[in-house]
This record gives sequence, C-alpha cells and structure tokens, in this order.
Amino acid sequence: MKRYALFLGCTTPTKVPQYELSTRWISNRLGIDLVDIEDFVCCGSNQINLSIEAGLLLSALNLAYAEAQDLDIVTLCAACTGVLVEAVEELEKQAVRDTINKKLSTIGLQYNGKTKVKHISRVIYEDVGLNRIRKEIKRDLSNLQIAPHYGCHYLRPRCVSEGLDEPDNPKSLHQLISATGAIPVEYETLLDCCGGKTFPNSVDLAHHLIAKKLDNLQDKEVDCMVLHCQTCYLMYATQQEKMSEKFDRQYNVPIILYPQLLGLAMGADPVADLGLNLNVPSVDKLLTKVENEYKVRI
Amino acid sequence: MYGQPIRVSELDTNFKHEVMAHEAAHDITACFSCGTCTVGCPIHEAYPEYDPRKLARMVNLGMRERVLSSSYIWYCATCHTCELRCPQNVKFFSVLNVLKNMAAKEGYAPPSWVNQTQQVMKTGIVFATEEAWVERREELSLCPLKGDGEEAAKLMRLTGVGEIQPRAQL
Ligand code: SF4
Ligand code: SF4
Repeated sequence: MKRYALFLGCTTPTKVPQYELSTRWISNRLGIDLVDIEDFVCCGSNQINLSIEAGLLLSALNLAYAEAQDLDIVTLCAACTGVLVEAVEELEKQAVRDTINKKLSTIGLQYNGKTKVKHISRVIYEDVGLNRIRKEIKRDLSNLQIAPHYGCHYLRPRCVSEGLDEPDNPKSLHQLISATGAIPVEYETLLDCCGGKTFPNSVDLAHHLIAKKLDNLQDKEVDCMVLHCQTCYLMYATQQEKMSEKFDRQYNVPIILYPQLLGLAMGADPVADLGLNLNVPSVDKLLTKVENEYKVRI
Repeated sequence: MYGQPIRVSELDTNFKHEVMAHEAAHDITACFSCGTCTVGCPIHEAYPEYDPRKLARMVNLGMRERVLSSSYIWYCATCHTCELRCPQNVKFFSVLNVLKNMAAKEGYAPPSWVNQTQQVMKTGIVFATEEAWVERREELSLCPLKGDGEEAAKLMRLTGVGEIQPRAQL
C-alpha cells in the first residue's frame, strides 16, 4: 500500500483530535502508511481572501515540503483538499510555477508538480476499495440510519472530485457508509454548506446555514450524520448547544467523522482508538444501540 | 447597497479592466446576468441582499467604491456552487477573491482574516501553540506540533500580505 504525508491542517490537530486519532487507527489497519512532516503550515485557503498569491504560496510551500520527501499528500479537511488540489492544477502552468518557485527558492525549496493530493476518504475509496473494507467489518452497524455530509470542497471546484464523484449528485460517501454495513439516508439538504467559512465573519449567518440541515435531520430522526471534515464537524456538532439556546429547538443530532464510523465497524475501541467520547453531542445512545443488539464478532 | 440611483458620472469604467487583469477573474465580462449563480448561492438564500449576479453587474458597470467597501463580499461561504453552475463559465468565486484582495489593500479587510494570516506568520499553523490543545494532544499521545511560522512568514513578506490592516468592524 502507498505512503502518504499526513496533512493535518490547523483545526483537526487542535480542536478535533479524534479525527486524527481515528484516521491513524484505520490507516494502520488498512495498510495506509502515514508520514508526519512537522514543517507543514496552514494550507492557504483563508489567506486567499487577502491575497490569492499569498494563499497559493502557502499551498506551494506545503507541496514542496512533501515533494522533498517524495511523498503525495493525504488531507483530512475538505478546504485543505480543495485549495491544495487547485494549487496543484494552477502550478501545472509553467509561468505560474516559475514565479512561485522563484519565491520558494529564497528558502531553498521547489515544487515540480510531482506531489499530488487526496482526501483520506478518497484514499480509502480508491486505494483501499469498498471490497477490502467489507472484509474488515467486525461490528454489525446495520441498524444505524446515517445521513452523509460531503462538505463543499470535497466536491467543488470540479477538479477536486474529478474522476471520483459528481458534484451535484454525489455517491462516494454513501457507498463508503454502506461498506461499513450502516444505511445511508437520503435527505433534502444533502448538498447544503456548513457555513464554516462564514463563521469568523458572521456567526448568525453560519447558524442560519447549520440550522437548515440540522432541522432536516432531526425531523428525519437519523441516528447520526457522518462527515469527513473537521470544520463541518465544528459547525454541525459544537454549535448545537448554542443554537438550542438561541432558536427554540433542542438540537441533538450526533455527528461522527467517517474514520470513526469505519473504525467502529472494524472493531476499534470507541474511546481509546477513536476518541468517540470527545464528540458532542454525546454518541452514547448510538454506541449502546450498536453494542446491545450485536456483539463484536472477534 | 442596492436600489440607489446609478450615476454614470460616478462609474469607474476602468474597474472591470482592473478586475480582469487578474487571471482568476479574466472572464467576468462574459456574464450575461442570468442569475444562475444567485439561485444556488446559500448566502443569498439567507441574506437576499447578497447577490452574486448583482455584484457581477456592479463590477461590469464600474461601481468600484460600492463593491469594494461592501461588507457583503466577505460573507461568501466559498462553496463554489456559483462557478460550477455558471453557463458562461464565469468563476464568480474567484472574481470575489480578486475583489476581496483589492478591498483588503484599500483597508476593508475584516479582522478575522487579518488575524489568521498574522497567526500563520507566527506559528505556521493557527492554534498550534494554544495551551489547551497542546495539553490535549499530549493526553491522547499525539505528536507535538512544531508551531513555527518562520519559513511561511518569509514567503508571506514577499507578497505584502503581512502589511494588510483590518477595518474596525465588519
Ligand atoms: S451564472 Fe454566470 S452568467 Fe449567470 S449571472 Fe452568474 S456569473 Fe453571470
Ligand atoms: S461560492 Fe460564495 S458566492 Fe458562490 S455560491 Fe457559494 S457562497 Fe455564493
């Protein structure tokens, strides 16, 4: 199996470490070799707001760090994925690459277009494959009704999901959920945005966007929503308490990161291996549902 | 921002050329105001005043000051739906980035993004050195974060992004 440089981004390793923990656990079991590069810096997706050039330069810096070790990058965050894949594409233009490399050379680095970027779910989908996943399943999750959430930058711009999925009618995360044995649920607000990039500038606006999806899911009575981006997680999960106070509705939709779901299906310890105790709102009810009706088969 | 009389004498006919000079926004004049972008925009749904079609029209008409000083341009959720669906292949999301870059240079950047950029120049990864997170990583036996932005800062200085000052409030 392939080796990848693990690009943690800024928010996963600090505010959502359970995403990192569970990713390391499943990668280890599935033979995805993760290499840590301690020099990695922010991906550039927020710097673009102030300077497109500065954003591209940060992306290129990270690509150069990975290329120096002859590695491709695996990402966890949808926004990191989007901006880094776009940067790879942009840096295919020789004139752009020359300009950026001139700046990178001031700190002794270069990017020559070798390092490519994939999100962890794409690595699981393409490198590991659904069949292999089905063979790894130890816990039966077939009584879980799960709403998938893709995250904008997992699908758009088009270059990010090219060859993987249809941005307006995505299926890959549905399939990844199915492969764990759980049931993916269809729902109206599937493509809605989490509002993560509006949050720093307008909390009200973000809450408006979050509420639309949570209202939909709460009415559907799903067991949880599964997503694969820590910003989407922070929006949909950690804002529920505040929003329950603000809007006249008690929100309680458990939110789980895909590697946590896969790890659970593969028989991992929910706390020590997957950090599911750190998720808010609590996922205890869901865990009890899984453990009560089925025992680990090993 | 909208609904006021448009005075031809106040239009800056060079504005669209200024915007188009940036590779990311070179196709803005191809916009034929169909509104497909607006229909799919989640921010428009929440705040009807936020309207990609109108912003594109305002750029093409030359309403420089109104566009650049508007707080709305900073509310984009970066979902890329507008550019995915545009029949004219206008990359409205990228156009917006160009507008934000221009506005930032003129002193309209919101404190949020300015702070983040300065943080990256200090610690490489924002949040990397905040105590609560450092401790939690230790508890979970996850590797420490370097928290060093020196090389990033050297590169950022070459672009002038470090000198951008925030507006008082968005
Ligand atoms: S979808 Fe494209 S052509 Fe239509 S209004 Fe928006 S930018 Fe203009
Ligand atoms: S990228 Fe921004 S402007 Fe375009 S549809 Fe999304 S929120 Fe609206």
